[in-house]
Amino acid sequence: MTVEGTSESGIWVDRLAKRFGRRTVLEQISFTVQPGQVYALAGPNGSGKTTLIHCVCGLTFPTRGQVRLGGEDVHARSVAAHAKMGALVESPAAFYGHLSGRENLRLHARLAARGGLKVSEDRIREVFTLLELVAVADRPVSVYSLGQRQRLGVAAAILGHPQVLILDEPTSGLDPLGIGLIHRVLAELASEGCAVLLSTHHLREVASYASVVGILGAGRLIDQVDLKLRQRAYRFLVDQPAKAAAALQSLPGVRRAQTRSPYAVALLDSEQVIPGALRQLQSDGVAVFEVGPDVFDLYEYYRDRMEQVY
Amino acid sequence: MSVFVIELAKLRALRSVWLAAGVLFVLPWIWSFAPDLPKVYGLALVSAYQMPTLSLLTVMQFVLPLLVSVSVAELIGAEVTARTLATAVLRPVTRSQILAAKLAVALIYPLLLLAILLVSSLLAGARFGLGAFYGGSGLGAGGFAGLGLTSPALALGQILRAYLLAWCSLLPVAALALLCAVWSLQTALATLATIVALAAMRLLVVFPGIRPLLLTSHLDLYQAAPSTVGSSAVLLAIYLVLFVAGCFYLFDRRDL
Repeated sequence: MTVEGTSESGIWVDRLAKRFGRRTVLEQISFTVQPGQVYALAGPNGSGKTTLIHCVCGLTFPTRGQVRLGGEDVHARSVAAHAKMGALVESPAAFYGHLSGRENLRLHARLAARGGLKVSEDRIREVFTLLELVAVADRPVSVYSLGQRQRLGVAAAILGHPQVLILDEPTSGLDPLGIGLIHRVLAELASEGCAVLLSTHHLREVASYASVVGILGAGRLIDQVDLKLRQRAYRFLVDQPAKAAAALQSLPGVRRAQTRSPYAVALLDSEQVIPGALRQLQSDGVAVFEVGPDVFDLYEYYRDRMEQVY
Repeated sequence: MSVFVIELAKLRALRSVWLAAGVLFVLPWIWSFAPDLPKVYGLALVSAYQMPTLSLLTVMQFVLPLLVSVSVAELIGAEVTARTLATAVLRPVTRSQILAAKLAVALIYPLLLLAILLVSSLLAGARFGLGAFYGGSGLGAGGFAGLGLTSPALALGQILRAYLLAWCSLLPVAALALLCAVWSLQTALATLATIVALAAMRLLVVFPGIRPLLLTSHLDLYQAAPSTVGSSAVLLAIYLVLFVAGCFYLFDRRDL
């Protein structure tokens, strides 16, 4: 799989490979996350998600390949790359337990200042409010619950208004309200232009706002699902699915058409294409019984793909 | 500067540091009351200025290297265990800057321990008197027996020189512990590796050809005659540079 998109902004991963001794953990991984996109990494335990996240954020050195964050090589120019990045790579998030949440974030702010990022006290207050941690801000982190610690991790990651955000299972250990809160925060950041990469097992929740889902299996990126594109998929219940798919494929405004018996499924540029498609199918002698959005279940799709791989 | 201050604050939070400080504060008091000192060391304490030397004699070969190794290894190991090292590395700070701050703290740490030992020794020996005394500090001509009346200024000068030299000989030990910690990323393994390395060097004294080159042969630098201090210092500096270079080389390439 080769990398598409620009290496000058967002996250750019090109032919990444990682070996530990003789064991190959990642192989030929390429993908991009553009500003404003949320890229969710999914895969079973041991598929290489955490190693990939660690390679992308610069904690681990790849055996081959390159990673650029905001145009900067994260391994060769780590300071410049990290100045643009916020990350949460531990679960639960790692902090100094004897310090309060606020003191921990001040520590992060001081380290961020080394890269020229000015993080004010107001910003620290702002992230505490955003992550609903105001009540515990001045308590030692050692008394935080798992969920509070994880939310503090997200607060630390977004502290310096990052252009790129990398999170390894950010909702791990959170209750449903906490999961919802994190997803809302991430969706908002993406809408402001941040490129977000996260690994997750919460496929159905992440499907509501992720742009692309990358499915990792046995160290390879086995599929990338463009969820935005999937939202423009329509299914036609017809008597001859193969003929219908061929007819639809030839129409302008139809990106791709395929059969999923008894349906012909088409990715359309917009729903304005549907009346023309119906007319074409009718003139080709295909009987159409029903047309509607093709509701995409990411979890079911993921399960199918995993069954094919393992 | 701020990364160094942060590292210094982290050092203060380590339990092994408080344990080491406690041990080094208490030991001189125990020795000052030891009834068999004349039998074991042939020493009858007559002045507070003899206590710092006695303390160095008892801790320099094993206790201090061990205490330094544990805490320095913990500077890395504790952060790896808590995963806070990864958090720091992901900020816009180079790995070398983080390690340089840890190295600076690791190199200052033995000086802090020696300062505690010195102060505690003088306090523990204060009941023997802080004035001029007949005898020696254990560091000049004549050893503890001395060559007649020793003034407080002379004794203090000898003691301060000895403690500074002791610090110099502990610098490579601290750097070795840091190197082992960067290699292993574990406190226990790094401490063990440091102690084993020092013990192995001690065993090699049976080879006269390499004896002068061993780091452990220079841990008693504080007692060395002025004529041999220079060559010992050069050798210790070479060890220090090698260990420090190893630390930076490894840390810049280490998966965390």
